[in-house]
Amino acid sequence: MSSRRAFLKQSTLASAGLFLAIEVPRTFATSTTTLFEPNAYISITSDNIVRLWITRSEMGQGVRTTLPMMLLEELDADWSQIRLEQAMPGGKFKGIRLRTSGSGSTVGTYSALRKAGATARKMLISAAAQKWKVSPASCRAQKGSVHHTATGRKMSYGALAELAAQQPVPDKPLLKDRKTYKLIGTPTKRSDNEAIVTGRAKFGLDTRVDGMLYAVMERCPYFGGNVASFDASKTKAVPGVRHVVAIESGLAPGVAVVGDHTWAAMRGREVLHVEWNPGPNRAFDSEHFFNEMNVAMDRAEGAYLVRNAGDAPAALASATKRLEATYRFPFQAHAPLETMNCVADVREHSCEIWVPTQAPEAAQAESAKLLGFSPDAVKVHVTLLGGGFGRRLEVDYVREAVELSRAIGKPVQLVWTRSDDMKFGFFHPNDVQHISGGLDTQGRPIAWMQRSVGSDLSTLGLPTEEARKNLKLYSDDGLPWGSFDNPYNFPNLKADFIPLNSPVPTGPWRAVFYPPTVFARESFLDELAHASEQDPLEFRLQLLAPGDVLSLGDARMDRGRLKAVLELAAEKAGWKTPLPGSADRAWGRGIACNVYDSDCYIAQVAEVSVGKKERDIRVHRVVCAVDCGLVVNPAGLEGQSESGIIWGLSATLHGKIDFKNGTAVQENYNDFDVIRMNESPKVETYIVPSDRDPGGFGETAVPPIAPAVANAIFAAVGKRVRDLPITPEKLRA
Amino acid sequence: MANFALNVNGVTHHVAADPEMPLLWVLRDFLQLTGTKYGCGMGVCGACTVHENGTPVRSCQTTLKQTPGKQYVTIEGLSRNGDHPCQKAWVEEDVSQCGYCQAGMIMQAAALIRGKQNVTDQEIDAALSDHVCRCGTYTRMRRAIHLAAREASRP
Repeated sequence: MSSRRAFLKQSTLASAGLFLAIEVPRTFATSTTTLFEPNAYISITSDNIVRLWITRSEMGQGVRTTLPMMLLEELDADWSQIRLEQAMPGGKFKGIRLRTSGSGSTVGTYSALRKAGATARKMLISAAAQKWKVSPASCRAQKGSVHHTATGRKMSYGALAELAAQQPVPDKPLLKDRKTYKLIGTPTKRSDNEAIVTGRAKFGLDTRVDGMLYAVMERCPYFGGNVASFDASKTKAVPGVRHVVAIESGLAPGVAVVGDHTWAAMRGREVLHVEWNPGPNRAFDSEHFFNEMNVAMDRAEGAYLVRNAGDAPAALASATKRLEATYRFPFQAHAPLETMNCVADVREHSCEIWVPTQAPEAAQAESAKLLGFSPDAVKVHVTLLGGGFGRRLEVDYVREAVELSRAIGKPVQLVWTRSDDMKFGFFHPNDVQHISGGLDTQGRPIAWMQRSVGSDLSTLGLPTEEARKNLKLYSDDGLPWGSFDNPYNFPNLKADFIPLNSPVPTGPWRAVFYPPTVFARESFLDELAHASEQDPLEFRLQLLAPGDVLSLGDARMDRGRLKAVLELAAEKAGWKTPLPGSADRAWGRGIACNVYDSDCYIAQVAEVSVGKKERDIRVHRVVCAVDCGLVVNPAGLEGQSESGIIWGLSATLHGKIDFKNGTAVQENYNDFDVIRMNESPKVETYIVPSDRDPGGFGETAVPPIAPAVANAIFAAVGKRVRDLPITPEKLRA
Repeated sequence: MANFALNVNGVTHHVAADPEMPLLWVLRDFLQLTGTKYGCGMGVCGACTVHENGTPVRSCQTTLKQTPGKQYVTIEGLSRNGDHPCQKAWVEEDVSQCGYCQAGMIMQAAALIRGKQNVTDQEIDAALSDHVCRCGTYTRMRRAIHLAAREASRP
């Protein structure tokens, strides 16, 4: 969260001063002339085409629809004249953020894009007014033309472009009143739909450049190990194999096999023989590591406070009823359907890269560093991403491709196989949570203590040991999210964290720290509710009062908004009504909620049934209520709700990565199973109308689903499962 | 190495390659038909689905030596103008998120609805559950398949 907030502040600053140079970009070759380029985001050419530059990576969250909507709302151009261009780091985007993370694409561009659109509109109107010798106030912009209402004259943006470029740039263009919005707030279909359904959409793996070779790479299976020696004699005999090269700049060192096509490289790799220096982690075992985490939990050394209200230990000691429970969350892979890949073409003094990445700036910077070039010498084309989910914030595969292209002196596409992708990632770390709670004589919750043991996600650059010593309580620098920002008003609340890192590389996974902490928190609330013989919804509501605002550093969390989404979800789900029930299945409902980054409020009710004999689990329906401020594209939000729920459900019922003998056990979708069509529940999403600025929603729907389902299972069969995934075996035990 | 006459989207291509080479890589690396996607390489995700004589098959599990005499259709050849009922329904229902799995899904669904007045949820589950969509677009996909079946059976 700290990094997300810092980034947002940074990007707001960077985009406050718009880039106003008028320059003909050389990124596209057309016979038309760019006449008007009022800022980095917009250009208008003589053929009346309006180009919009997209400053985030499209990975399914819909930025190539939402971002244009914000620009067009103010620009008043017509969708039919729009061409979308993907921004590249450097050049006119120097200082403008392109990194896509933290559910921040809408939040981070909302002001800048509307301002960019309004600037262009005002200059086009000024141009028309000058031409017609009328006052700008008597002109209006509509669907790509400026109209003079009184005389019925109109001129297209293309025709006005040259004159518009000569107009003074408005310092603070007047933005439209929200009430007049025509696009923002209107459900809008995805701009890439037609390209996708016809197979024309280009993902990273679809990149083809002249003279390109193809490569796969065998990597050291043990984290921290490296290549001792390799024998490529059989590999080089495979038809189509061109080069065999040791590569050391990626996540794990290894040997790349380069061929005329992907299959030649794969065949060559099959017969490659590599001897590894296994390094210090040859024996790493994730189950043993869970034991180490339990020991750390019990020893309680090195815990640092992230939240402290009242006196939780004393309140707990005085409680009439005390409860405690431990929850665990396994390692998770991102497993986007498009595996990691990158095309690199390294020349003597320059480098060109085509890559599906969430981090184009990092791709450029790290390639430049590896090559000893200036960043300006590295051109990064961001393709469509076949899923990102946080994995593509790392650029290890970019470094590999760049190193390889430099070594062979040719453009090359480095392809990760599914097994590579599953075994070599920046995994969601495993995690253990222990919570104690106390009830008074009336069954009211009076004490809450949550201790987390897990990775601090060091790849994110979150608090160092030194920084932790100076950590301010209640600040959003605290980790982990979901625990320090516990939204419920417990009179006595303490949360602390013991960082414990394994050798496994870890990184942000959709919703980052929230899934394990919220699974534990919302499950334990359910346990407390049952212990006090109260309805789990009512139990939560009594801890959330309208108008009660919790301050956490510079963030404000409105408990009333959380209460409202809980009530809305419960109402729409028919919380108080009986479930259908059937002779062979036990049915139950569960509820859970969360506040994502203090600005997105969400509650979910899951309807679940469990087979009385086989104990198989079916999630039939999920009702989701959301308050995340103004929603730019309601159709997009609904899609992200469905998507986040399915993502979280995969981890709830199936997904985990085990490490044995220093390496990941799971290799493909057969042993790392995810939710498929037959397990997909009916999802209903309800949006609370809001006038507040937009919040982020790419990750928000993920955290509540695991506890909602766990709570529903408890309601159905009375069995509490505290370690994910929840399997029929665990319900039979 | 051997020579093959490979019929894809109504065009015969002459390919000289390893008979064990999966059709997936022939399509992608030789014929530049990159709409067919690599996802798992072992037939468990469905991203590489194409039609073989009208039947959906996994092109990552179909070797070049199995292809002679057969006709293949990829997403690029499913319709002339992107107007197959499934393609239209996918747009209408706004199914795609990242979009990477969708070509495989559409090829599977196109075979499912062919000649049918109606499809049931059970038939959709049976046909589509060997596919993976990591974005979780199943709710809309199901709606799109029902819509496509209705539209396709219109007189």
